[in-house]
Amino acid sequence: MSEKIKKISLVQMKPNHKGKVIEILGGTNLQDRLMNMGVYKNKEITKLSHIGLRGPVVIKAGRSILALGHGVAAKVILEQE
Amino acid sequence: MIKKIYLIGNPNVGKSVVFSRLTGVQVMSSNYPGTTVEISKGYLRLGDEEIEIVDLPGTYSLEPTSNAEKVAVSLLKEYPKNEIAVVNILDSTNLERNLLLTLQLIEEGFPTIVCLNMCDDAVHRGVGLDFKKLEESLQIPVISTCAVTGAGIKLLIDRIKEAKPAFRDKLVHEARWVEIGKIVEQVQRLEHRHHTLREVLEDASVRPLTGLIMATGVIYVSFKIVRFVGETIINKITDPFFFNILQPFLEKLTFYWKEEGFWFHLLIGDLINGKIDFKQSLGVLTTAPYIEFGMVLPYVISFYLILSLLEDIGYLPRLAILLDNVLHRLGLHGYAIIPVLLGFGCNVPGILSTRVLESKRERFIASTIISIGVPCVPLQAMIFGLLGRFGGLYVGGVYLVLFILVLILGVILNRIMPGYSPEFLLEIPPYRFPPLHMLAQKLYFRIRGFLIEAVPIVLIGVAVINILIYFNLFDIVTRLFSPVIHNLFGLPKEAIVALVIGFLRKDVAVGMLMPLGLSAKQLFIAATLLAISFPCVATFIVLWKELGVKDLIKSTLIMISISIIVGAALNFIILR
Repeated sequence: MSEKIKKISLVQMKPNHKGKVIEILGGTNLQDRLMNMGVYKNKEITKLSHIGLRGPVVIKAGRSILALGHGVAAKVILEQE
Repeated sequence: MIKKIYLIGNPNVGKSVVFSRLTGVQVMSSNYPGTTVEISKGYLRLGDEEIEIVDLPGTYSLEPTSNAEKVAVSLLKEYPKNEIAVVNILDSTNLERNLLLTLQLIEEGFPTIVCLNMCDDAVHRGVGLDFKKLEESLQIPVISTCAVTGAGIKLLIDRIKEAKPAFRDKLVHEARWVEIGKIVEQVQRLEHRHHTLREVLEDASVRPLTGLIMATGVIYVSFKIVRFVGETIINKITDPFFFNILQPFLEKLTFYWKEEGFWFHLLIGDLINGKIDFKQSLGVLTTAPYIEFGMVLPYVISFYLILSLLEDIGYLPRLAILLDNVLHRLGLHGYAIIPVLLGFGCNVPGILSTRVLESKRERFIASTIISIGVPCVPLQAMIFGLLGRFGGLYVGGVYLVLFILVLILGVILNRIMPGYSPEFLLEIPPYRFPPLHMLAQKLYFRIRGFLIEAVPIVLIGVAVINILIYFNLFDIVTRLFSPVIHNLFGLPKEAIVALVIGFLRKDVAVGMLMPLGLSAKQLFIAATLLAISFPCVATFIVLWKELGVKDLIKSTLIMISISIIVGAALNFIILR
């Protein structure tokens, strides 16, 4: 095991880093909404920024830029190399 | 036989622009998701038949997750599938995300035609699409359009009847995304380019530090331009007209019109030192047109010019990100900034656009905050008109009181109202630069709306007030309310007339306040009360429609109690 894989939430990931979505916590409605906007399991996304302490997180998924409220971002779990 | 055509697509792909192009019906379009909150309908002539076209609210999927999406999907299922044609509008710059809905439409067997919109933007961004390949792989017609310039629209009209169902296996979520990935790989070629200035700005505006600096700059410059354009129109166009043309003309008229009877009173009003004073005479031909055209209209033009520009460029959702934190404390989320900004123009579209917010609770909080603490352009023009001559401190003071009220009210409502406000999940559109004619059209649309709405009410309002004054009918109202007005708010009892008239339209009310000879402090209280007490009757009707009777009553009680508390507090703090 040379490569170490970290599991972190979107809130914890640093801006300008990439990660692969491995799990979305919370209800199916949230999962469906994110799914419809292009954020789903195994999708690689880039975190662009994080506004303030408990502000929204901005990500890039495919060609879309999405802003996720802090609470939503905390539920998106990523795998980072 | 096609009986109905539906336009469907993801939010912010330009459905409304395509709709306007197809039907000639002008509808509002902006560069942010959720501009269309009402369902627009129009007609398209195809050969000798007229077919109804429906512009559906944006939806990401046929499995709805929000109210707007539910509406879109349920309307789509109203007619049997063989009697409709579905025009699926896609953003060419973001094929991947848009194809989810397309595949669902095909899987469900809707007769569909794909319209790849914003083809010009795709070229700018180095996105090349192979339409033929996409047509082959989807098995339905694909047309490329650029609705803002009109390119491709004719072809779309010619081929609309070719909309047809195609066969596709029904897929589940992740499998569908895999399928989409394959299609995109076949039809899309991305040109590798260096970052353009536009992309650098897009990126900077969503980062905390640069975003904040940009927001401050944008707000400051916007405010300056609104004032500059408004003042220029007043100084160069409207004031010269009123003072150099209309006034001499009317004064000549009054010279021959010796008897000061009922009609003189109604049309010209009172002479101030033997002259017509447009601000104080209060006649149907003097004060009424001056308020609307000489004080309010110039700022309506300048405000909507800037707002329309910010909307179409796509800046507002970025402002929403930055303000999410603050608005969260008020039980709202960042996107509430859109209804609030629209409310600064006129509360009616502001409250209508609270539909972009998901829960009833958020819509109640936002609507109440807008009707109490967000002054519309006419009201702001009046605040400046009344208090401007006493200096910026008084004008700024009114805004400060309103701002503090909004914060306190929001925090309290957020605490006491049951339920919670959902989190914010929003797509941020790229910056786009609208062609000038689109901007001009939108501005014209809004100004015309303002004139149609405001002018008759102001003229009739001033006429009715004059009749009531002439026959001394206001005395009854005045006497009834004088204890509250005089003792609690420190205003002369005649001021109640202005506050009551404010219910009709805020700008008429000011015409009533000017002749009273109030002191600066009294005017400050009156202007503040005018802003926070009842909204005008048009806003009231929209509140009723949007919130229902029960919440309207709640909201009204909040308004009344706040007016009394704030009026009394200001009176004790600054007058006593």
